Amino acid sequence: MNHRSAPIEVRESVAFETAYVREALGRLRTYPSIQESVILSTCNRVEVVAAALNGVSASEEIKAFLAEQRARKNRHSLDDHVYIHHGPEAVRHLFRVAASLDSMVVGEPQILGQLKEYYNAAQAAGTVGTILHRLFHRSFSVAKRVRNETSIASRAVSVSSVAVDLAKRIFDRLDDKTVMLIGAGKMGDLMARHLQRSGVHSLMVTNRTFERAVELAGRIHGSPILFEDFPRYLTLADLVIGCTGSPEILVDAGTVDKVLRERKQKAMFLIDIGDRRNFDPAINEIDNVYLYNIDDLKGVAEENLQERSNEAEKAEGIVQEEVHNFTRWIDSLEQVPTITALRQRLEEIRHRELERSLGGSLRDLSEKQREALEDMTTAMMNKILHAPMSHLKLNSKDEDEKTLYIAALKKLFDLER
Amino acid sequence: MDVTLLKVTAVLYLLASASFIVYIFLVRDFVSSLSPIILFAGFAVHTAALVIHFLQTGYPGVAQFREALSFYAWLLVAGYLLIQLKYRLAILGAIIAPLAFLMTLAAFAFGTGGGELPPGLKTYWLPIHVTLAFLGNVVFALAFGVSLMYLLQENYLKRKKMTSVMKRFPSLEALDKLNYVLLVWGFPLMTLGILTGSMWAGIHWGNYWSWEPRQISSGIAWLFYGVILHGRITAGLRGKKAALLTMVGFAVVIGYFLLGDSIFPSRHGGRFE
Repeated sequence: MNHRSAPIEVRESVAFETAYVREALGRLRTYPSIQESVILSTCNRVEVVAAALNGVSASEEIKAFLAEQRARKNRHSLDDHVYIHHGPEAVRHLFRVAASLDSMVVGEPQILGQLKEYYNAAQAAGTVGTILHRLFHRSFSVAKRVRNETSIASRAVSVSSVAVDLAKRIFDRLDDKTVMLIGAGKMGDLMARHLQRSGVHSLMVTNRTFERAVELAGRIHGSPILFEDFPRYLTLADLVIGCTGSPEILVDAGTVDKVLRERKQKAMFLIDIGDRRNFDPAINEIDNVYLYNIDDLKGVAEENLQERSNEAEKAEGIVQEEVHNFTRWIDSLEQVPTITALRQRLEEIRHRELERSLGGSLRDLSEKQREALEDMTTAMMNKILHAPMSHLKLNSKDEDEKTLYIAALKKLFDLER
Repeated sequence: MDVTLLKVTAVLYLLASASFIVYIFLVRDFVSSLSPIILFAGFAVHTAALVIHFLQTGYPGVAQFREALSFYAWLLVAGYLLIQLKYRLAILGAIIAPLAFLMTLAAFAFGTGGGELPPGLKTYWLPIHVTLAFLGNVVFALAFGVSLMYLLQENYLKRKKMTSVMKRFPSLEALDKLNYVLLVWGFPLMTLGILTGSMWAGIHWGNYWSWEPRQISSGIAWLFYGVILHGRITAGLRGKKAALLTMVGFAVVIGYFLLGDSIFPSRHGGRFE
């Protein structure tokens, strides 16, 4: 799901905190159809990229996996908010994500870094095999091509510069303003740097672990403050950036109201870009305070989309070309044609037999019963196929064994015909 | 002669208004520098009309209502042009230029004849009092425009809608500061306007304060602006509330300026004996 398909509340309910990605990948691996997987979880999207021989059952399993993640917080159907892509469409989607064509702010550079980070995490967790390895490396080079061959990136208005733009609409000058950064999240870090380049006067950094605050403050020339103390320092801050993974709200409307009285109503600009909401949405109701979260920044950024559409077309062309190349590679994998043929064969049989029965002895079945029968036969087929398929695992190391199995399958099921 | 010039003035103000409005909706930078120039041309012609009027009749054209309107428009444009020089606030012209045009136009609606000036007004108190009172008023009119811009910008920022029109608006902080500067200028001018009026009344009528409707309404407006100024200096009154109060204050002042004398007849204004 991404910023278009799901509102922030839903996104944050399934978001994976960086520290737990490994554990989540481990859980995902236990689902029978998933062979390789990478989880990507940013402020704007939660995606599960998986390689599987049976796309339909794999996507059902991923949905179940996401629902399970969500169930810990909130139980509502995810169906309205997720999108599912198979085959070349899935490849295309990932390439577009990597090239920042699917971003809230098209052309922003952060997504590629995030993608690499989550890919590395998956690799460390051992859930990346031949297919995803190739797929992700291709996606990185697609991103590079798009950046070099189109002007999308050079004209990129990142979320950070949208924030700076807004700050300039609220404040006359930035060189007498103080920024407070809460949390050491990547987006916050980037935004603080951006504001610094725009000439803000000073920067305070706080984080639950004080060492990280000190370290970050050192890197971006800010002053670290203790996490317990930050509410007291809010009075000094004209801009406050919240970018923590904290599940609870850090600053509520009452606090801001009090702070504002101490500031003699001097305007404040709060930016909430954490994985979860850091600031109470009611804050925006207060006079002289402006609260923007990631979705709001999107609205502002959308204006920029229009003028980039020409370059975007060029970029889509590059993506299309690369998708084609990748699909050709997949098809060239030795076992793929065999697997496809085997599936087709069984599916044909299932269909024929089903039709015969439903037209004959089972003619009186209701619509519901017909559906149940359909589901049952599909499940049966998948179960039967599961064992042979896993022996043909795409990333199986033993080449000889694989060749043997392929030959056997071809013969046994008469696939060469 | 001065009437012809006034007609030219009205046309130029109309052109300037159109130009400012084009500037808001079309992203053409040359329009932003062109509009104030047209407005300045109108202002120059307007000045000439006022000077010629003075030379022909021997008294400044501020006594009759239509003269007052035209003079007010002249001060308004002068005030705006000064702000434009310092703050480059072309967008404010989109409010001021149409206002000046309408006032000049309204001046024609009240006849064009010269008329004889009542003897009671043939004194230097007239131009001094009217100029100071109007100057205060004009500064508050500009503050009204600035406050309106503040509220529009604030509203867009709160609703998180960003249109290209809003990009032409200065930042909230700049608008709020300018609003404050105008208040700081407008308040003493208004005070002087009331003081000179009172002194003139004292000399002419024999008592300085006779609870005329005009005096009462000015007194209320003066207190109102005084409270805003005090609030801004000491109590951290700023932003949206300050902008709203500034607009309310001016609505009262201008409302009385335009309608007061016909609702509460008094010795002031047209019925001056």
